[in-house]
Amino acid sequence: MTSLVNARGVSKHFGAVRAVDNVSFEIEQGKILGLIGPNGAGKTTLLKAVLGLTDCDGDLSVLGLDPFRQRKELMRNICFIADVAVLPRWIRVTQLLDFVEAVHPNFSRPRAENFLQQTSVRSDARVRELSKGMVTQLHLSIIMAIDAKLLVLDEPTIGLDIIFRKEFYANLLNDYFDEQRTILITTHQVEEIENLLTDIMFINDGKILLDASMDSLSEQYVELMASGEGAAKARGLGPIAENEMFGKSVFLFEGVSRDNLRGLGELRTPSVADLFVAKVKGARK
Amino acid sequence: MIGQQLALLKRELWEHRSIYVTPVAIASIVTLGTLAALVFAGGFAKELDLAIFGATNLAGDSERKVVLTGFFIGTSWLFIFAAYVLTVFYALDSLYAERKDKSILFWRSLPITDAEAVISKLVTAVVVIPLVTIVAIMATHIVNLIVTSLWVSAKGGDAGLLIWGSVPLLDNWLAGLIVVLASAIWMSPFVGWFLFVSAFTKRAPLLMAFMPLVLIPLLEVIFIRSSVFAETVFGRGGTIPLFRGMDIESFFDEEKLRVNEEFVSLLAQLDVLKFVSSLQTWTGVVVCGLFVTAAIYVRRYRDES
Repeated sequence: MTSLVNARGVSKHFGAVRAVDNVSFEIEQGKILGLIGPNGAGKTTLLKAVLGLTDCDGDLSVLGLDPFRQRKELMRNICFIADVAVLPRWIRVTQLLDFVEAVHPNFSRPRAENFLQQTSVRSDARVRELSKGMVTQLHLSIIMAIDAKLLVLDEPTIGLDIIFRKEFYANLLNDYFDEQRTILITTHQVEEIENLLTDIMFINDGKILLDASMDSLSEQYVELMASGEGAAKARGLGPIAENEMFGKSVFLFEGVSRDNLRGLGELRTPSVADLFVAKVKGARK
Repeated sequence: MIGQQLALLKRELWEHRSIYVTPVAIASIVTLGTLAALVFAGGFAKELDLAIFGATNLAGDSERKVVLTGFFIGTSWLFIFAAYVLTVFYALDSLYAERKDKSILFWRSLPITDAEAVISKLVTAVVVIPLVTIVAIMATHIVNLIVTSLWVSAKGGDAGLLIWGSVPLLDNWLAGLIVVLASAIWMSPFVGWFLFVSAFTKRAPLLMAFMPLVLIPLLEVIFIRSSVFAETVFGRGGTIPLFRGMDIESFFDEEKLRVNEEFVSLLAQLDVLKFVSSLQTWTGVVVCGLFVTAAIYVRRYRDES
């Protein structure tokens, strides 16, 4: 596997605040990595460092380049949607296509127009005349027409209704993603994307709490719903979290074999959201 | 590289339509003004006949050139003044608006360096706006000459002789081009300053740009009792080393007026060599370069989150 992003001891300070604190990770080609963290966790700062929008300490290499010092070269092979609202409101759709075609060597205009034909975005419309969902469709049409190695999405569907959100991710998977491409995505709506992800990374207070493949989660983590004696025994096995639900106790275990828990109650693989909450709460204790 | 820079310049024209809408509006006003003047003049039939007769038979070619050049200058200053105002607002808005609407994040997601982006804005201010201005001046000139020719012909005059045979088009236009471009270079330190303010200010770029220009001279007068800053900055507009020493009074004084070829040629009034070899010209260019470099630095290093 080729490593597209390689971070070793990466930190970013804002005065005394450590937005990203000595993190190390790798992103391999062909992965869809979800970067999950609460507000102010350092997600956006880390993404900005990866995109070369901000300088940082430590060793960070993206596609073999120093992102901050070689941003122009990097942007030929990276796309990003930082927020749906960033397309300039004064520009016309055709002007936008003209411009990207002129400045981006890896942009295919026919491909973008093909995507746009499947939407209700008029080519003579100005961005300010489009709804928020249509602006996202326009942005995504442009992004998907760029033959990039890494796509970075920072809260790409924020403020969109459920239909647009579902369409967005369906388009991304069906029309864009393949083994040659890699996607790094942050979102608060983690339930909507957890089925898309191949890998997941939790970040809190600038530190990485979890960096694992989705496949390994079911091996590493298990959720047990138990009551009475089963709950008492489970408590003795050192769960990383315990919650009450419908009069039963819900335990989350890390690195505990399912065999050891079988018979104590109902077992299942925890959702990413539950795992995230448990990890963040655990880190704050 | 050139294709990319052209795309960036085109983008500036898409975003700032006032760059070409303003000259078109002024051209329309000037043309309407000419039409109104011609209609108004039509009410003085006798004086008109006399004027056409005088211009045809008594005035020489040089006198007709002076009158037509005067008409060119009279209309051109409107465009040049508007271009100055336009440039101030354009430069102040260019790096501020993209941060305000956060579109900077989209522009920076494309393979364009901050230097290329800022330079496209500088080129728009000191090259594109002057070029649009001179093209608008030339087009207005032609339209107004055509309108006037038709009117002169309708009044029985010989438009071929009075207008087209006498108007020094090339001289007027070339001089106009030199004046607008040289003025843009001469005033480029201000453009650099406005771009820099536009890149760093979080609010009210107009206020932020002009406040130091007012406060610094005030503080200088109060504390140092000198006015070097005010003279250097505000005096710059009137000291462009482009014009030859011309006795303006003689132009208006009938007794002194001596119309000769040098006098009727606008080009002959310009000294391009003096402008190019002036230390002040290049000092201005260097100051502009320093401000633009600072603007690039701010755009690159500032965290927009």
